[in-house]
Amino acid sequence: MSLELLSANHAAATAATLAGRANAKARGFGGGVYPITPQTECIELLCQQDFADEHGCEKGEIVRVESEHSAMAVCIGMSLTGARTFTASSSNGLAYMTENVFAAALYRLPIVMMAVNRTLGPPWNIWVDHGDTLALRDAGWIQFYCEDNQEVFDTILLAYRLGEDPRVLLPVIVCQDAFVLSHTMVQTDVPDLDTVRRFLPDFELPHRVSEQPVTVGGLDFPRETEVHRRQHHEAMGRVPAVYRECQDAFEQVFGRRPADAVQTYRMDDADVALVAMATTFSTVRTAIDAARARGIRAGGVRVRMFRPFPESELREALGRCARVAILDRDISLGLGGVLWAESRACAREGAIVQNYVVGLGGGDIRPRDVDAMLRDLLARTAAGAPEIVEVGS
Amino acid sequence: MPELLEIRLHGRGGQGGVTCAKIIAAAYASLQKSVQTFGDYAGERSGAPVRAYTRVSDAPITDRNKVYEPDQLVVLDPHLLGPEVFAGLKPGGSALINTPQSPDALAARWGAFTIATVDATRIAREHKIGSRSVVIVNTTIAGAYARVHGISLDVLRKTYAKLGLLGNFAAAEAAHAAVTIRPAHAAASPAVASGKPRLPDVLSLEAHVASPPPALKTGNWSTQRPRYQEQLAPCSAWCPAGNDVVGFVRALASGDAEQGATILGRSTPLAAVCGRVCPAPCMDGCNRAEYDGAVNIRALERFVAGQRGVASRAAAPSASSRRFAVIGGGPAGLSAAYQLARRGHAVTIFEGERALGGVLRTGIPSYRLPRDVLDEELGDVLALGVEVRSGRFLTSDDVARLAGEHDGLILATGLQELRGLEVEGADLAGVEQGIRFLHRVNLEGNVALEGHVVVLGGGNTAMDCARSALRCGASRVTIAYRRTRAEMPAIKEEIEQAEEEGVTLMELRAPSAFLGDGRVRAVELREVELGEPDASGRRQPMVTERRATLECDQVLLALGQSADHRLLPAGWELRDGRVLHADKALPVFAAGDLATGDGTVTHAIGSGRRAADLALEALGIDVVPFERPDRERAVPATEIRFDHFTTRSPAFATAVAAAIRRTNFAEVDPGLRSSFEANRCFSCGHCTRCDTCLVYCPEGIVRRADAGYEVDYSYCKGCGICVTECPRSAMEMTDA
Amino acid sequence: MIEPVLSGMAQTECDRKAPLLRAGNTNCGGCGMSIALNFMSRAIGTRRVQMVIPACCGIVTAGPFPYSAYGAPVVASTFASAAAVATGMARVAAMNGEDLRVLCFAGDGGTYDIGMATLSAAAERGEDLLYVCYDNEIYGNTGGQRSSATPLGARTSTTPKGKTQGKKDILAIMAAHGIPYAATISLAHPEDAVAKFARALDARGFRFLHVLAPCPTGWKSEPAHGIELVRLAVRSGLFPVCHVEDGRRFTIDVEPDFDRAALADYFARQGRFRGTKLDLDAVAMAIEEHWRDLRRRGG
Repeated sequence: MSLELLSANHAAATAATLAGRANAKARGFGGGVYPITPQTECIELLCQQDFADEHGCEKGEIVRVESEHSAMAVCIGMSLTGARTFTASSSNGLAYMTENVFAAALYRLPIVMMAVNRTLGPPWNIWVDHGDTLALRDAGWIQFYCEDNQEVFDTILLAYRLGEDPRVLLPVIVCQDAFVLSHTMVQTDVPDLDTVRRFLPDFELPHRVSEQPVTVGGLDFPRETEVHRRQHHEAMGRVPAVYRECQDAFEQVFGRRPADAVQTYRMDDADVALVAMATTFSTVRTAIDAARARGIRAGGVRVRMFRPFPESELREALGRCARVAILDRDISLGLGGVLWAESRACAREGAIVQNYVVGLGGGDIRPRDVDAMLRDLLARTAAGAPEIVEVGS
Repeated sequence: MPELLEIRLHGRGGQGGVTCAKIIAAAYASLQKSVQTFGDYAGERSGAPVRAYTRVSDAPITDRNKVYEPDQLVVLDPHLLGPEVFAGLKPGGSALINTPQSPDALAARWGAFTIATVDATRIAREHKIGSRSVVIVNTTIAGAYARVHGISLDVLRKTYAKLGLLGNFAAAEAAHAAVTIRPAHAAASPAVASGKPRLPDVLSLEAHVASPPPALKTGNWSTQRPRYQEQLAPCSAWCPAGNDVVGFVRALASGDAEQGATILGRSTPLAAVCGRVCPAPCMDGCNRAEYDGAVNIRALERFVAGQRGVASRAAAPSASSRRFAVIGGGPAGLSAAYQLARRGHAVTIFEGERALGGVLRTGIPSYRLPRDVLDEELGDVLALGVEVRSGRFLTSDDVARLAGEHDGLILATGLQELRGLEVEGADLAGVEQGIRFLHRVNLEGNVALEGHVVVLGGGNTAMDCARSALRCGASRVTIAYRRTRAEMPAIKEEIEQAEEEGVTLMELRAPSAFLGDGRVRAVELREVELGEPDASGRRQPMVTERRATLECDQVLLALGQSADHRLLPAGWELRDGRVLHADKALPVFAAGDLATGDGTVTHAIGSGRRAADLALEALGIDVVPFERPDRERAVPATEIRFDHFTTRSPAFATAVAAAIRRTNFAEVDPGLRSSFEANRCFSCGHCTRCDTCLVYCPEGIVRRADAGYEVDYSYCKGCGICVTECPRSAMEMTDA
Repeated sequence: MIEPVLSGMAQTECDRKAPLLRAGNTNCGGCGMSIALNFMSRAIGTRRVQMVIPACCGIVTAGPFPYSAYGAPVVASTFASAAAVATGMARVAAMNGEDLRVLCFAGDGGTYDIGMATLSAAAERGEDLLYVCYDNEIYGNTGGQRSSATPLGARTSTTPKGKTQGKKDILAIMAAHGIPYAATISLAHPEDAVAKFARALDARGFRFLHVLAPCPTGWKSEPAHGIELVRLAVRSGLFPVCHVEDGRRFTIDVEPDFDRAALADYFARQGRFRGTKLDLDAVAMAIEEHWRDLRRRGG
């Protein structure tokens, strides 16, 4: 292991490369890639890799395609024939890719995609917003939202182990915030290939397309679809348990434990909770520390795994909190924050659950902004409509 | 009508079931009813089973489900009929079915319901709705529906007008008139189970590693089926001898001359002869003539005979063996004798000349038919045990006696009457019947001529006379014919070869007098103009007054012959080839020119064969008398897919150079050196196992089988491509 | 033609043991695409293949889960993605040293229209793929709408008065990518067709084949006339049968006779051209111009 100064984009590419090389004895590694700001650095680094393994055997193929739609299609083709696959995208690129994003999951392929969360346009805006990947929440993928570069790196490796588990067989999207992580370089612990190999077994897709006549992804009548959807949903249901096994294995191999699906901060005695995802939660921690200093028993809850939605973990984390602020860096127009919409039912009955939509379009959410929300929440006698909190650039 | 009328339609993709449901709904809508109509949408394709539904009510319809317990069924395709179609039909319900069957025929199974039937497929096909294989019956059967369920034609017409379907209304009216209805039995309706079945298990995607073939039997979709059906080839249809021409040519094409000889031997003993002298009507009929030239069938027949004699090997006399006399040893008599002898009967031929052969020996010059060739084929006939009494011309008394002594008698005495000319100078020396001249040349030899010989006529005898005259020393030969070259009955190649040898052809000339003093010195010829076509289709010659004199040293008349009936004993009457005495049929049959007057060797062979068959049949022996096939039934050229075949000119043997051959009686035509010409045969109506049907079948269900191919009808969708693409019309579509 | 057709190789050891398109498929009777698959099947012979078929009639005919009307592994891809999915499969096969051919089998909608960018990119990258377009000149799977392959004058459900534009020149487009082999295939010329399928299967790099696939349902023609229609299209010069090597050398494989009667017959046999005031002279002129271009490129 070594500490390297990496952006989260490069951390993702480095993790994917290691995971890919680790599969060289099996069917190899590859993916289709297409540039889009702020993800481009990731695929650039990927394109610089030489995948020849120690025996000189070329087992990696990065295909420079003409669109995100084809990038995912290449991953589908590769995964269906047994390779470990990776791609990355962002924002409108994900929107353009969407059809094949759904397809990848419906084929039950453990493709791993790194998404840099960026505002959808037009008007064009390259800064962070979670709306692009949240729009894919029904695509049948496992979704993780990361808080720092190391977590991006670790989650990529975890994603392969989790998605490729025969009990799961689902694609995984690993999200990171535009620029806040993607272009921010910090020391990142990068394990060596042998260590990664110990964590990631060879990938074998049970329904790999090979020689047998078979039509993969053909027609389903209603009866087949209702069963296939149920099975897909049940696979999602097995994810939390399998994920815990992955955490254990990860800890055993790498000596550090990845965060849980739902992570708490100073929640033990909290009676007011702030719920957020990704790097917003780092700011939330700071604000909580400040509030605690003022005697407010505040705590934080981070939703790291958004799909499958960790409802019971979240319910447990929120426990007896009477007031809950849910911070969304996204908006489902006409409703409010997506995280709020999905998690508000997890608070205890009678709790005041208020939604704050904040930092849209990459607005820099600072501790004072979070503190203002906390004060607002504490002043409330009842929850109101979602608040759009404007923080400026 | 019940409070809520529910109708379920069963059809196939392409038949228009959804539109039919819509027509019915629209008709009720125009009667101020609330209606609802929809189809089942799936991966349906043309021919796949589909369902459509219509609901009718006085109140607004809120039911969004499919119809599980219909009041009425409409079945657009009879092949769908089964329990799944009738599932859930309410007691007292009705079913309207598109089928040619009567309702009574369906009553045994579904008689508890009102059954109405109409052959909508036939009606729609007659009205050209849809394509031949995918007939669209919706607008037709809706007419029948209106009748069964009491919707007036007027309402229906308005509905069709509104839906823009008036073009198909005539078919609807026809179905309205044609439908037959059978009321339900009073007996209680059988309960047709429609309970909810247990849901089938579904494999998970990750366990789905191999797919079984589809369970769909698409053969149910088809309304038509292809079938391999041998059709009559024109060459065979046109052959007066009844040779299986396409059969022997195909055998040659496959390199089997032996088989070719066997095939020919069934209908003729004289293939080497016909392969030289036959006018070959088969080649006139040959469909390849419409493309790049008829197959040189005559030469191929000769080729076969050159490889192996065609006559059957000796047949042992059997217990049922009978005795026959054949009078006349020409081609007809030989053919009759051959057909009788090869079936094991005892035959004696009575021939006036010293040797057998008739006109083959006395008329046809040896440069066309070498005598060793003739003798060999005659020998093969005699080898079957045929006896010969020759050298004496019989009298009518002899004939009567022979008839009494045999089980059957064949008269094949040919054309002994020679047509002469009733003009001035016809009796001059040097004016001679061509037939007599040929007789002298052929039987006596050493006939010498000199000077200019004029031959009158345009048939093969004229050509034989002209070319023989050259070979006998004539310095110059002219043929005068009253029509043009195109109308000449002579074989085309004979005319060409005569001209090559220096014979001059004068068309449109008719002799009006022979001039000379004791011996002919000139012939007066009048110019002829052609008028309207006569019964034979040839334009009638109209002799004009314009005349010219052609000096000559010898005239040969080749104007035709006719039968001599003086040989028939008193009281015998020849009618349709059979002899009657006092209106009583005798076991005596005429053959060849005596019977038909067709005048060719091949006609004579066919006629002799038929006479032999009739003689056997008259004795109660089981034979199917040979009949000349109907040319109308032969595969026409329009049914041949020419583009399948690469163009290649017909093969002809190179004749001996004219300057050499005109000096002697050696055979002119050396014959083909190979049978490659046989490969040009289209094989009209006869499968050659060319694989076209197999290669083009979209379903891949045409398979090679022992005799040819077989179609897997359980999958055949009846598209008809195999039939359309068959290059030679050896397949046909039939109703499924 | 030499008899038997295809020199008798059908249903012999040279033929594919199990058909590529199995009986019981749901294609309409007389479907040209089915015939193309059977020709392809014969050319494939003993080669190992994997296919990608995008959303189109070609995948619907495979039938419902878990069945398959295909006797080879088939991936049903999203409509625009065939060439990209196949890229992934071919790359993985190559890096694992597998000797197999990856084929795309797509209709004109998936090729000329929605899949064009994907196709073009895969050709430009020189992927080791055989892309076969069965062109029935219509969105058949959705019930018959116009595509950019629909010819001038053809009525479809979205061009009820007849299409007012001509057809894209897909061969020229693909040739412009400089791919090693591009060819058009006439189903009425089985020898040429199977030889081209075989050559395209043997070649490496990106290969493109364009098959005119009669659609009796969409063309409103007799199912039995499909092959004859192709023959007429070839004879009249409407559908040039040729191949292009390296995007430069055009070679004519079947010389048409430019028969006007054949051209008229081609249109007359199809209901889709009925009542659309198609100007035969203009069509003949366009054919002439197209052939001038073709011959110029013939070098």
